Amino acid sequence: MSTISEAPAAVAIREGSQEMTIKSLAIENPRWCPGCGDFGILMALKRVMVDEQFNPADTVHISGIGCSGRTPNYIRSYGIHGIHGRAIPLATGLILTRPDLNIFIESGDGDSLSIGGNHLLHGFNKNVNCVYLLFNNELYALTKSQTSPTTRKGHKTNTQPTGTYLDPINPLRFALGIGASFVANTADWMSDHLVATLKLAAAHPGFSFVHISQRCPHFDPNAFQHKKADWMTFLTHKNGVTPERRFVKKAEVREHDPSDLQAAFDAAEHFKSWFGLIYQNSDKPRYEEILRAELESTPPKPRSALLDKYLI
Amino acid sequence: MDAGFGAQKAGEILIRAFAAAGVHVYSEPVIPAEISPPPRTPAALSGAIIRVADFKIGNIGNHTDLILASHEILLETRLGDHEAGPGCRILLDVGLRKSNAEDFQRVIDQVIERGYELVEFEIGETSAMLIKSLNSGKNLYYLGILARIYNLTFELVEPEIRKVFFKLPEGKLAKNITLFRNGYDYADTHIDYRIEIAMARGREEEILIDGNAALSAGIIDAGIKFMSGYPITPASTVMHTLAADFAAYGGIVHQAEDEIAAVGAVIGAYYGGTPSITCTSGPGLSLKQEFIGYAAMAEIPLIVIDAQRSGPSTGMPTKTAQSDLPAVIFGRHGDNTTIVLSVADVDDCFYAPHVARYLTEKLKIPVIVMTDFQIANSFEVVHKMAVTEMETIDDIPDHVLQRFYIERLPESIEMVKDNQAIPGTPDGMRRVTGLNTDAAGEVAYCPASAQRSHEIRNRKLHAVRYALQEPEIFGPEDADLLVVGWGSARDIIHEAVSVAQSRNLSVAGLHLKIVYPLPLMLADIFKRYKKVVAVELAYGDDLKPAPLASLLRMETAMNIISALSPATGRPLTPRSVLMKIQEYLCEHDI
Repeated sequence: MSTISEAPAAVAIREGSQEMTIKSLAIENPRWCPGCGDFGILMALKRVMVDEQFNPADTVHISGIGCSGRTPNYIRSYGIHGIHGRAIPLATGLILTRPDLNIFIESGDGDSLSIGGNHLLHGFNKNVNCVYLLFNNELYALTKSQTSPTTRKGHKTNTQPTGTYLDPINPLRFALGIGASFVANTADWMSDHLVATLKLAAAHPGFSFVHISQRCPHFDPNAFQHKKADWMTFLTHKNGVTPERRFVKKAEVREHDPSDLQAAFDAAEHFKSWFGLIYQNSDKPRYEEILRAELESTPPKPRSALLDKYLI
Repeated sequence: MDAGFGAQKAGEILIRAFAAAGVHVYSEPVIPAEISPPPRTPAALSGAIIRVADFKIGNIGNHTDLILASHEILLETRLGDHEAGPGCRILLDVGLRKSNAEDFQRVIDQVIERGYELVEFEIGETSAMLIKSLNSGKNLYYLGILARIYNLTFELVEPEIRKVFFKLPEGKLAKNITLFRNGYDYADTHIDYRIEIAMARGREEEILIDGNAALSAGIIDAGIKFMSGYPITPASTVMHTLAADFAAYGGIVHQAEDEIAAVGAVIGAYYGGTPSITCTSGPGLSLKQEFIGYAAMAEIPLIVIDAQRSGPSTGMPTKTAQSDLPAVIFGRHGDNTTIVLSVADVDDCFYAPHVARYLTEKLKIPVIVMTDFQIANSFEVVHKMAVTEMETIDDIPDHVLQRFYIERLPESIEMVKDNQAIPGTPDGMRRVTGLNTDAAGEVAYCPASAQRSHEIRNRKLHAVRYALQEPEIFGPEDADLLVVGWGSARDIIHEAVSVAQSRNLSVAGLHLKIVYPLPLMLADIFKRYKKVVAVELAYGDDLKPAPLASLLRMETAMNIISALSPATGRPLTPRSVLMKIQEYLCEHDI
């Protein structure tokens, strides 16, 4: 209990544990509405865990409040369903003290960009090693349809019944502007693209920001034309994400170099319709590694002499 | 002195020199809330109030015998505190009198009118030139004067100057020491009175330490490995000390983006099995409240230090108070299950993290440790504490628990959630949530489950109630009057009651270290006294009992009187408590 773990990242399944499958990761039937995009994201997370062999005993899903916040409760791994907007602080404390764990954060648009906006800013900047999923359904759903920071202008909600007043915040521009090291854009209804994106995010050393357009059929069924593809653009690159096969014929496909920050800013302008790996910089220093290096480079002192420097 | 000219440093050197001389010392820093307020204004007052004695002291005392002021405006401000004792000696630097003749005359008239003994002095030309060239150093000159008056030799003070100014280049340091010498020599020839304090203690294994440094050392000794915080007065120095020291003992300091993130990181780290702590003050405490309630619900250990200061809101950040008691006990939504410890002195500061860690890991409910500006910043000379080198909570020594008047808790404590595994435990996978859960840890909304969770959480708190021993009582087991206080009021009550008893007054004192929950036998103790009064540094009046009095009324259903409850930002004094004792014993017909 008393020492900070020094084990390196451990992803292998421990001997004796049962074989991990999609089914073995299931706990209870999720309490989301029928047709909710969160089901697709949950399945993708489980696929990533199985495919990449993330031992559930060494994996922690951390969330805030809202529909997205329930995700950890539906995966048989470790999990913290925290308070509204504050998943990143919980994750930061855990990452700093337990770098051996695989950390996923599941958050919504209100959770990430409204009440938790300050933490997201610092998550980008500190670049602690985790995968951050922003479930963007463009409104507050669990509290029954209020305007969120990403609600499209004019959309009527219970708090702005004549239509949402402001333009939505662009989450990708926010991430790039602060200096995020990994920025990707995908959607709940393109399962292979989502899984491939999450795998890249999990492999990235640092704070991997994955923006996911997410359907809310109950409160905003017309937000995304998820059955059509003619409005979609897939960004491809040898280090990027393969376009979703069933949409690729009708969608536009563009080559995009994720190491090009300016190109990333340009792509971010299309955050509602351009999908793929927007930006990746694997060299950005990670806060937990900096603190750990500080710890390891400090010569240890015995606690027995702790008070000697105060002797008169 | 005006802030920014080294009054704090001079004060620290003087305190260290007294400690080195073998006398007992206690201090109260006077610090403005701003870094460099305009000089020659009351807001600029920076200094140290130092009490020395040939007996052990743990409070700042009643009145001032000697004041050294760098100019008349600050002297006037200090006189406004009405703390100068009869025959108080006042050393006033009159170097600025030429350009401020009227102001000087006004203040000097006050001094004479009140019958204080005034000594005017002026810094000589050589020293003044040196001060000009250094753009500092007046503080060392003043220090020299004071050292001479208190018979602190050059050989004794010089090493302390070097310790405090260890960052100064040798050339500058030498000039400062010259200024000290010049002040010393000036007093030797121009000021004829000396104050002799007898050496009262050995110097073996004695340390000079302030509350926040003791707290920081205690955090390390308690085996805590992660501290996260956000800058706030007067808690910040804990983070400063740990930022410098913690890594050598395997600990990490995380400066979070805000107060909420600071407590969130501690909960995240503790969920991962790492003993962790956060340190804050009033405004930060308010921000942390949601997460404190969350930790209770999710059954994740949590330790929060609250260094109290004068509120509400930003209040007076550099002035002391005990006014956060209602906030820590009642400040969150829903049912409260939180343990609140308080510290009475620097020894308690050292051991409080041990007790807090023991309780929070054992019970998985939050523990809040209450200190305050006065304790955080006051230096005390104490015998070096016994280092415990705690690894797990089973290592906590009995004497540490007894210091807080609590027995060891039962081996087995029932939790709301059966599984309490930490990540990495094979097949122990579990989710925690702020939602209500059943024993399996699954979200549950049924009435019986919510009732069960409340009962179990409260049984954990009851385990503390049962373990609490009779608190510390000064004086007889029954008397006409019992004076009750908590936290930093301990030594003040102790001294006041001792003096009262020496005057054959029928009075006792009672001090609470764990303030929530309270011991079950408290009402029975109170019944042994004809009248029970509370003294505390938090606002109360005839219509509104102060927080401790209110809490005691609630818990005992007795008429506890709020006898002394100032909100001045200054510590209580033994004299103020003594006067209340006399008032209640003589005027209130017991």
